Amino acid sequence: MKSLNIWYFSSFIISILVIIPVLTVFTSFFQSTSDYIELLQNTFLYDYIYNSAALLLGVLSLTFIIGVGCAYLVSFYKFPGVNFFKWSLILGFAVPPYIYAYSLTAFFENYGTAYTLLKSLFGEGNYNSLIPKFDGMIGAILSISFSIYAYVYILTRASFYFQSHNLIELGKNLGFSKMKSLFNIIIPSARPAIVAGLSLVAMETLSDFGAVDFFSINTLTTAIYNSWLSFDDLVFSNQLSFYLLIFIFALFILENLSRKNAKYHSPIQGGIKVKQKIKLKGINSLFAFSICFLIFFLSFIFPVGQMLYWTIIYPKNLFDLNFISLLINTVLLVSLSSVALIVFSFISNYGNRIAKSKTLNFLTTISISGYALPGIILAVAYITFVAWFDETIINFFEIKSIKKIFIGSILGLVIAYFVRFYSLSCNGLKSSYEKLNKSVDESSYLAGYSKSKTFFKVHIPYLKSSIFFVFILISLEIIRELPITLILRPFNFETFATTAYIYASQDLLEAAAVPSLFLVLTATLFILIISRYILSENYE
Amino acid sequence: MKLLNTIAIIFSLLLGSAFANEVNVYSARHYDSDIQLYQKFTAKTGIKVNVVSGKSGALEKRIIEEDGGTADLYITADAGRLGAFKSKGMLQGGLTSDAIKSAVPKNFRSSHWVGIAKRARIVYYAPERVTGAELTGLTYESLADPKWNGRLVIRKSNNIYNQSLVASLIKNNGKKSTEAWAEGVVTNMARTPKGNDRAQIMAVAAGEADIAVANTYYLALMLSGKKGAEQQEAAKKVKPFFPNQDGRGTHMNISGAGLVKGAPNKANAIALVEFLLSKEAQQHIVNNTFEYPMIAGVSPHELVVNMGLDFKQDLKTSVKSYGKNQAAAVAAMTGAGWK
Repeated sequence: MKSLNIWYFSSFIISILVIIPVLTVFTSFFQSTSDYIELLQNTFLYDYIYNSAALLLGVLSLTFIIGVGCAYLVSFYKFPGVNFFKWSLILGFAVPPYIYAYSLTAFFENYGTAYTLLKSLFGEGNYNSLIPKFDGMIGAILSISFSIYAYVYILTRASFYFQSHNLIELGKNLGFSKMKSLFNIIIPSARPAIVAGLSLVAMETLSDFGAVDFFSINTLTTAIYNSWLSFDDLVFSNQLSFYLLIFIFALFILENLSRKNAKYHSPIQGGIKVKQKIKLKGINSLFAFSICFLIFFLSFIFPVGQMLYWTIIYPKNLFDLNFISLLINTVLLVSLSSVALIVFSFISNYGNRIAKSKTLNFLTTISISGYALPGIILAVAYITFVAWFDETIINFFEIKSIKKIFIGSILGLVIAYFVRFYSLSCNGLKSSYEKLNKSVDESSYLAGYSKSKTFFKVHIPYLKSSIFFVFILISLEIIRELPITLILRPFNFETFATTAYIYASQDLLEAAAVPSLFLVLTATLFILIISRYILSENYE
Repeated sequence: MKLLNTIAIIFSLLLGSAFANEVNVYSARHYDSDIQLYQKFTAKTGIKVNVVSGKSGALEKRIIEEDGGTADLYITADAGRLGAFKSKGMLQGGLTSDAIKSAVPKNFRSSHWVGIAKRARIVYYAPERVTGAELTGLTYESLADPKWNGRLVIRKSNNIYNQSLVASLIKNNGKKSTEAWAEGVVTNMARTPKGNDRAQIMAVAAGEADIAVANTYYLALMLSGKKGAEQQEAAKKVKPFFPNQDGRGTHMNISGAGLVKGAPNKANAIALVEFLLSKEAQQHIVNNTFEYPMIAGVSPHELVVNMGLDFKQDLKTSVKSYGKNQAAAVAAMTGAGWK
């Protein structure tokens, strides 16, 4: 009984720890208000909600079309390059929205890269008016969409894989055209997976700060940040947070429900026939190839090409970059955070497994909500909470202030990452853990293994590959992460992301290209390592 | 006990070792050249400069919550922010040494914060499409004149440079008149505001508009060739114009440093500010950031000199008013439908 209590207790503590920032967002506001005019707030509020909704709608539509479209093509058809596109279409994920935004702006702006290209091809001319401008809302929608459509693509593709191929046959028998089969049979049958992918996209979109800030679009997230920090208007900020969180929690629940439903589509072992893909010929084959190539080009080759171009024409920036220290900092953050996340996710999952407590299960579910909270708001909430804790509780016991330990330290960064990415790590392990039948535990106990021994000798070896998968996933997120790192980092401490941001904020996108390029290449490497796992034919 | 020791060691590793002789700078003005400047300071005085950079709002929040004991100096590129931070009670007096007082004109400092460098927010025009007669006597106020209908570009109202400019107009002309002015400006816009200051200048170069409002930094940046040959050429297609020459002078903003309340290294912080106002440091700053020097006897970067030095700066409007009128400025702009 004793060991059970320890497991229970630790997973309980972890859950509470992760929930704290979410609660702080709601509770830390009731302190003071500024003289912000009420009328003004209402005009703004309308604007913010409108912008967030427009952004969301744009990104959801685009990611739906790209994600489902590509998944459909590579899942059901055979055409030149299909095996290449299958995995290269997830590489866009290596380019964070803010870096995509830098490339997009630099290429299409007046006298930008597109202008230079046209000029070198066709000589002098007034090309500026011919070049389309992708800035503002359109720019933000494109940047976010191409960066994260992979969520929809991966989940939809997995779901398509498990669909019996007879769906297309069925369509044929019913006399449906390919398009009609797609819309009336195939997409509806993959709906839970598509919804799950789209809700991830929606959460990321609503919490994006880098890209929307770059295009100076006021969304709910930037508005909370501004009214909280610039205007000290805590009541308004609270109001905005409330709207945003309601929005996000709705998505969160939707995603969880869809995931549950998605499971119904996963096959019983051995239940899948080897499918024959339809071989495309002639113009159709060219069409499929072009679409996939276009998406691959736009999501990956284009931003990387733009950064590479800059690095080549301004090589000084490459030599000026303190590459070693940036790499060390990044590796340090990634390794500390992923170890912490994986260890605690294990404890929590194991605690849940053996405690079978409803309360604990509920707490764990809530605690993964850290992921739904925009990074920038989480970071500010974290600082607020530490300060409050220090001033009330620590002060009460007359202990030395703990602020320096938790704010502006690597430890502080790791804790904030922990809260943000706990959901990723906990859920990542959970899905594999649940597949491990509980009867295995019983047999292990019968064989005289203790609970701990069962954990170390049976569970961990079994989950080895998902641990690796989760590790890479966390690393990927931390490398790309910007707002938390920016706010909480220690003195004289930069990462690839913060360096890129700092150059960009001086309007030196050329110099931002070098750290961005390193960031994207590292992320690409990580994606390539796990692509086999993500796309393996038994992934669900 | 052993465990406690180990924990203590791990913590000190995670936190980075603390120097005895140091100064902690929170900077929203994150130029590489500033870092080089701090290194010069360290070489000279032995005082280590610790820097954390970021967006001003977030830095301020961190300073507030850390509540003394860590931050010494807060450096940011807008006077309004410094003033607002002071009125929150987060800065302390002490920047009153003779070295500071003699270096910095009165309207660019208080005892709590001091301007380090100046920036001018000016008008750019396309000489092909804007006549000398149209420009004669141009003021910020006259940007609302119907003759600029559909010819003006300026960035969004959420931009701090615009907010400070409009705050200075409120200070000089009052709220009512500035609200009417904002409406006129919105009517005159050639397009819905978008992009940064450089994008406004390029819109004029590309023929999308005839005049633009932007800081001097951005034209100099384009002229410097750091943005490529095309933009260097484009920059030559526009000309700078310094408004309000017959009146109070051109709107000036500052990059400045504030002395944080409870600064653990107050003396070092003051020493750093004094160093930043030295001739050597000022020369370094203006050469790298295209700002105007705060002290006399230092020449700006050649590219800035070429824009014209012989102009009247607004030394009358106290930059303190930028912070005071910020909320009213935002209200005036958004009220006029300024995106």
